[in-house]
Amino acid sequence: MSAGAKKRIMREYGECMADTPPGMKINFDERNMTKWEVLLDGPDQSPYAGGHFKLEINFPNEYPFKPPVVSFKTKIYHPNVSNDDKGSMCLGLLRADEWKPPNKVVAVLRLIQTLMIEPNPDDAIEPSIANEYKENRKEFEKNVKDWVKRYAK
Amino acid sequence: MATPAPIEVPPPNDRRGSRASQTSVHTQDEISPVGGPPTSPSPLQIRASRESSRKQSATKQPPDLSLLQYVSKPDSNLMCLICHCPFSDPLQLECEHIFCGDCLHTWEAQQAQQAQQRNRELADRKCPTCRTKYTGTRAVPKIIASMLDELVVNCPHTRAGCKWVDQRSNVKDHVMLYCEYTPVACSSFDCRHHIAQKDYHKGCLHYTVSCEQCHTSMMKKDLEVCVTDHQRTACAGRSTNCPHCSCELLRLDLKAHIKDVCGKVVVPCQGAIVGCAFSAERAEVVTHEKGCPMATMAPHFRDQQARIERNEARLEPLSRKVGILEDGLSNITNMLYPANANDSSYPVTNPLDPNTSEPFPPASLVPTPDFRLPPASFPPVPPNDTSQTPFQNPSQPPFDSQVHHLLTLHDSLREEVSRIANALTECEGRTNMMVINESQRVKDEMLHTNAAINGMRMQLHWLMSATLHQRTSSSASSSTGRAAASTSASGSGSAPTQGASRSGTGGTYHAPLRRLSDSTRQDTKL
Ligand SMILES: [Zn+2]
Ligand SMILES: [Zn+2]
Ligand SMILES: [Zn+2]
Ligand SMILES: [Zn+2]
Ligand SMILES: [Zn+2]
Ligand SMILES: [Zn+2]
Ligand SMILES: [Zn+2]
Repeated sequence: MSAGAKKRIMREYGECMADTPPGMKINFDERNMTKWEVLLDGPDQSPYAGGHFKLEINFPNEYPFKPPVVSFKTKIYHPNVSNDDKGSMCLGLLRADEWKPPNKVVAVLRLIQTLMIEPNPDDAIEPSIANEYKENRKEFEKNVKDWVKRYAK
Repeated sequence: MATPAPIEVPPPNDRRGSRASQTSVHTQDEISPVGGPPTSPSPLQIRASRESSRKQSATKQPPDLSLLQYVSKPDSNLMCLICHCPFSDPLQLECEHIFCGDCLHTWEAQQAQQAQQRNRELADRKCPTCRTKYTGTRAVPKIIASMLDELVVNCPHTRAGCKWVDQRSNVKDHVMLYCEYTPVACSSFDCRHHIAQKDYHKGCLHYTVSCEQCHTSMMKKDLEVCVTDHQRTACAGRSTNCPHCSCELLRLDLKAHIKDVCGKVVVPCQGAIVGCAFSAERAEVVTHEKGCPMATMAPHFRDQQARIERNEARLEPLSRKVGILEDGLSNITNMLYPANANDSSYPVTNPLDPNTSEPFPPASLVPTPDFRLPPASFPPVPPNDTSQTPFQNPSQPPFDSQVHHLLTLHDSLREEVSRIANALTECEGRTNMMVINESQRVKDEMLHTNAAINGMRMQLHWLMSATLHQRTSSSASSSTGRAAASTSASGSGSAPTQGASRSGTGGTYHAPLRRLSDSTRQDTKL
């Protein structure tokens, strides 16, 4: 990773610290600054409320020319998060061909929060959950709360 | 008592030892003119190549603008959206977005690589911000460039200790030329570390040493740089007691304390240089010196001594200069009188020349083999004194007589020249006379010859006309031309001989004759 990219990550961390989206905490290790640990509280207006989710943001060597990789370390019942041990989230600006170098990590964090409040079933990674979300919102919310209770307390 | 200087512990792999042996090898190479066997490159060559490669790496790295520390937060409009730093070498796209040159090129390379991975030609280059296609880049407006140049930055080596702060446009010059903290390759051949410019001349400092007092091991480089700091503040064994007066002080200052301050050290009286034999502890010596006349005199003696030394030092170059001047003067003398060393018949001293106004009696001209000046200029030199330059003879100021001699020489030469000039004029007159006489004679002779030729022509003319007359009267008058031709043919046997004999005297006459004879010869051929 180039010194310039490292410097940019440092700067972005500074910006995030100055203007952290509510309900978020970022753990940053200076020795390995390409891996951020984010602690995210489930947004109040969503069924994820009350849950604490651990995310990892990994910056590729090509950052900022390639998007950061977001993965949920805490299991979450969500149509846009893969239901495996990776828990990867890949949509919108996080897609390689959608990503623009001027995008910032703060934008990624905001996107994650928005998606928790309002999942995007049309761009889903888990089609069954997306289906449930579209057709049986009650059941979906019940499952979400179930998973939050089980994994995210 | 040991001095507080840190001892140098050889590092575990003993790089210093190996380096030392290497240096000895090098010196051996330098002594012996022949290198190794001809097939293998000589160690000197290897060293030279190594040196050249070292020189290459010794070049300084230009500063990376994106890593600079800005004194104040730059305007957000001057920030590159890719690297989040103020633009460096910015380029503008057709959509008017601006990026650093490097950032944009990396972006383009990234895009091309992605396209290649998908086995597609990269169709268009697109702005990283707005994805508008662009075909080319252009320089940013001048105002942006100057705003960027005026950003105030710290030296990139601020952490190493540089205090430089100035506009960004000057940072490259500063780092490449002036900054003392710019890292350059270590001066040692086998060391790959870098060292600050200002420590370059100190040689390789990249080995571990441990502080003698606290056994903290650190790189020699660091110890060297902050040795005072460490020993003043950090070192565990930094304080010590004076072995003489047992006062507590920093180990660093111990030497100075013992040398100048400590009252318990045994020192001699200041007058020792003049002869005072008193010597005791410093405190006692101080009281002694108050009453010791020699101690009072000592400073004056020291001053005098210093003055004498200064004068001697000044004298030395002067005497060398005098020697050089003397050499030059004798050179000039030799040039002026190249033969005077053993030539006794020197022009000036020639007694036969009446024009010579010789001021010195000829007795002084006893030829000595080692003359360095014209004999006239100084009295006889004793043979044992010949190695000395004759100028030093005090009884005869050499330069006066030298000038005098030159003047007489000049006079005599002038008269010689005028005599030669007279002789030349005389000679010229005589030659002119001779030439006139001779030419007169030649003229007369030519007149004679001309007259003789004229007579012969008349004779020939008369003879030919007589013959023609005879022919015309005897033969038919119709073929006159032929007859003329035949007569000339008959006379052609004599005509060439006549022409040849005449050609030496008068060219004007033989030409028509020759032509005549030629034509006749042609006629006979036909
Ligand atoms: Zn940039
Ligand atoms: Zn653009
Ligand atoms: Zn500097
Ligand atoms: Zn070194
Ligand atoms: Zn120490
Ligand atoms: Zn003392
Ligand atoms: Zn004394």
